[in-house]
Amino acid sequence: MFTIDNNAMAAIDGKKRLSMDKILTIVCFILLFIVVIIPIFMIVFNAFFDKNGFSLNLILEQFADKKNLDAMWNTIKIAVFATIFGTIVGVFYAWLLGRSDIPAKGVMRALFNIPYMFPPFLGAMAWELLLNDRSGYLNRFFMTTFGLEKAPLNINSIWGIVFVEVSYYFPFVFMQVVSALERMDPTLEECARIAGAKQSTVIRKITLPLVKPAISAGALLILISSLAHFGVPSILGFRQEIYTLPTRIYAVIYNSGGSFEGIRQGAALSVMLVIVVAIALLIQNRILSAGNYDIIKGKSMRPTLIKLRATKIPLLLLSIFTLFIIVIVPLAMIILISFVKAYGLPLVPENFSFVNYQRVFANKGTIDSIRNSLILSVSAGVISMFLGTLVAYVVQKIKPKGSAVLEVTSMLPYSIPGTVLSIGVILAWSGAIFGITLYNTLWIILVAYIARYLSFSMKTSSASLMQVSSSLEEASRACGASHSESLADITLPLIRPAMVSGFFLIFLPAMREVTTSILLYGPYTRTLGVHIYSLRDAGYIPQAAALAVIAIGLIMVLNIIVTHITKDRKGV
Amino acid sequence: MSNVSFSNVTAKYGKNTIFSNLSLEVKKGEIMCLVGPSGCGKTTLVRCLLGLHRPETGRIAIGDTVLFDAEKRINVPVEKRKIGIVFQDYAVWPHMTVLENVMYPLKKRKYKKEMIKDRAMHALEQVHMTKYESHLPSQLSGGQQQRVAIARALVTGAEVVVMDEPITNLDAKLREEMLLEIRMIQNNLGATILYITHDQQSALELCDRLAVMQLDGKICQVGTDEEIITNPVNRFTFEFIGNSNAIPMVVYENKPCFELETNIPAEGVDIGNENVDGKDMLVRLNDVVFDNSSPIKAEVTSRIFLGSEYNYFLNLYGKEIRLQQSMLDAKNNGIANVGEMVGVKFINPHFYNKLMNKEGK
Repeated sequence: MFTIDNNAMAAIDGKKRLSMDKILTIVCFILLFIVVIIPIFMIVFNAFFDKNGFSLNLILEQFADKKNLDAMWNTIKIAVFATIFGTIVGVFYAWLLGRSDIPAKGVMRALFNIPYMFPPFLGAMAWELLLNDRSGYLNRFFMTTFGLEKAPLNINSIWGIVFVEVSYYFPFVFMQVVSALERMDPTLEECARIAGAKQSTVIRKITLPLVKPAISAGALLILISSLAHFGVPSILGFRQEIYTLPTRIYAVIYNSGGSFEGIRQGAALSVMLVIVVAIALLIQNRILSAGNYDIIKGKSMRPTLIKLRATKIPLLLLSIFTLFIIVIVPLAMIILISFVKAYGLPLVPENFSFVNYQRVFANKGTIDSIRNSLILSVSAGVISMFLGTLVAYVVQKIKPKGSAVLEVTSMLPYSIPGTVLSIGVILAWSGAIFGITLYNTLWIILVAYIARYLSFSMKTSSASLMQVSSSLEEASRACGASHSESLADITLPLIRPAMVSGFFLIFLPAMREVTTSILLYGPYTRTLGVHIYSLRDAGYIPQAAALAVIAIGLIMVLNIIVTHITKDRKGV
Repeated sequence: MSNVSFSNVTAKYGKNTIFSNLSLEVKKGEIMCLVGPSGCGKTTLVRCLLGLHRPETGRIAIGDTVLFDAEKRINVPVEKRKIGIVFQDYAVWPHMTVLENVMYPLKKRKYKKEMIKDRAMHALEQVHMTKYESHLPSQLSGGQQQRVAIARALVTGAEVVVMDEPITNLDAKLREEMLLEIRMIQNNLGATILYITHDQQSALELCDRLAVMQLDGKICQVGTDEEIITNPVNRFTFEFIGNSNAIPMVVYENKPCFELETNIPAEGVDIGNENVDGKDMLVRLNDVVFDNSSPIKAEVTSRIFLGSEYNYFLNLYGKEIRLQQSMLDAKNNGIANVGEMVGVKFINPHFYNKLMNKEGK
């Protein structure tokens, strides 16, 4: 009859493999439940339920308050205009750098990447110093030079906010479109030329429709980021009582002194904000699923460049001017202010000194904040990297029932504004669940960061896992490796580069984060972003600038290291 | 005693049945080619054998060792089955050097450290890859990666090696070489090879025996290549194994006729006792021959020189048929020119029912 050895008996019905897969799947569900579902549930629960059960009162109260409606209206207005202008600027420069023969492309591209690294709220700080209606340096210059009575420009306005957001968000469109243009098969355009179309017709009828999916993807990214954005409107808006929903939520909680009622009110406002964002996401889904990416090849080809001829010099000057305004001016301003002895003094060499740097470093809070930010970014990076990879593996390779739920859950925090997420985290971890109180500790910020950045690493790992053909793991199983061994020997080494870049995708934004931590920090848990923010809030503007310079320097150095590391990774 | 045996194996993906109650025996030390059109379930069969897919019913065994038995609830995990596998996409691990790739199975099977390298080098020697031992797979051509995959499958001396379409991605010349090499390696090691392909040409070149799998997942014929070519059990096998002409038949005034523009008496066709009414006559291209004494006439519409033979397209009363003339015949009897009316004769005809719908070749 049959000879059955013990191993075969132990492996009846392939339980071994199943159990390994099952454990991973269950771990995945539990972690996502804790990190993502609980905070979201807490917001909904607190917004819709009070002592007497289900009630819409709290929500309706918020909708009845004109201040909130104004904030909602402002949020939408700013987001829509930022999207329109950001898209125009992004597409124009993408085409200029991707398809024309404009000189100095390399330098310009490098400069266009700076807004990507530069925290927008620092940009808002710089512009406020230049263009606020009372004491802005540039405004005062205009007033004295042209003998004006009133400041000609006022950055503390809706349009000011739109302007600053555009200058930090247009790279979303720029980068998407540039890469689409570069990956586009040039023969598609050449065929149109051969068929008798003029250059301008080709751009209108061939190039633009082909990159339309990239444009709409980038534009909607701007829309959603702007709807949820906290930094710029809070720096520029508070003074003129211009609120957006995220800043209104912050103000409500701040004014209530962090009381439970204030936080509940914040939760109700969050529901309002989520509704607005959800509508934007629905539009995004509609538009993106209609897009067709098939014509764009993954292979890189050399596109034919369009000669600008007579317009070359004017366009070059325009580009230089744009770069000067959006990159150089705010950076220079922050640096100059960081050296000035007191805010308001003219920017002349006699008024410069290192005293702000000395003061900042004499402040114990500074060192603490840098340390906190480093601890938070590194640990959020590592934890989210592993958790994201785990989710990606389960979704891509194990494909259990409900893997779609897993995927959506892990992507959810990405579409939820950071402010809203913070409120959920506060509601969840201030004793409401098993009496666990993390409030005022670094842990609560860490939990929020993990939820917020999880999707970053999940996306990169997922893309990389898709490239790892399942036959590679199967081959190692057939060679005698157990499931866990083949994971360790084959799959993990192959996706390691993606995991590393996933880590840095989390680490860098976490270093300059302010939206989430501003609602979560406690006396000893200020982050770098929060510390700069509160120094400025307290009026220590030159010191805030000095710390900002340090932060920017830190981010740039780290970014250079990252690009260096990720560049020479082995291709799979 | 047969070496690999599938008995009554049923496999499903969800509700989709790939094959049901499939039985197949692969003899010890032979090269068995499993051929069938794309999507017929060949790869699923391999996955069942390897333990990557769990069948619904049946039993799979190698010799006396049961790998899977649905009734006895036995399912040996993949890593314990000790089957060598060469995947269609090679599945050479891109982050390991050639040598590391080949050493990996030895490490996992807990071979002695000092033996591992020697054995791996020996396996590489057999596929002529020793000088590439420290290369990464990305530095190798498709054919070379292929060899690495073969070396890796053979290195532990597995008794059974499965090759799933291993040479489809290679160019014609390399394909030829690899087939010869697989044959040589098999001679040296005496392993049982189950070779999966949709390409009947390479199957014919390589195999000891063939198993033909239909689109519905049934294995319709198992036998040597000669048996299958000369004595196909059904129309599917006949058409799958080589090119052929199909001419509709009808019985008209008690005479078997070709049902073309008009009914042409099928004179000189050996019908035997077959009732051909409403059937198709299938003839291989080289079984259509010029014979000017034949009353069946056709017009030459084109002629293509293929190096070792001529291929003709003929118009037989409105139906296009193909004819293959060997160089020897061309030399002895001359070639036919386009526009010429020629007499044709059909030898070795097979009669099968008409196809219900357009399927197969």
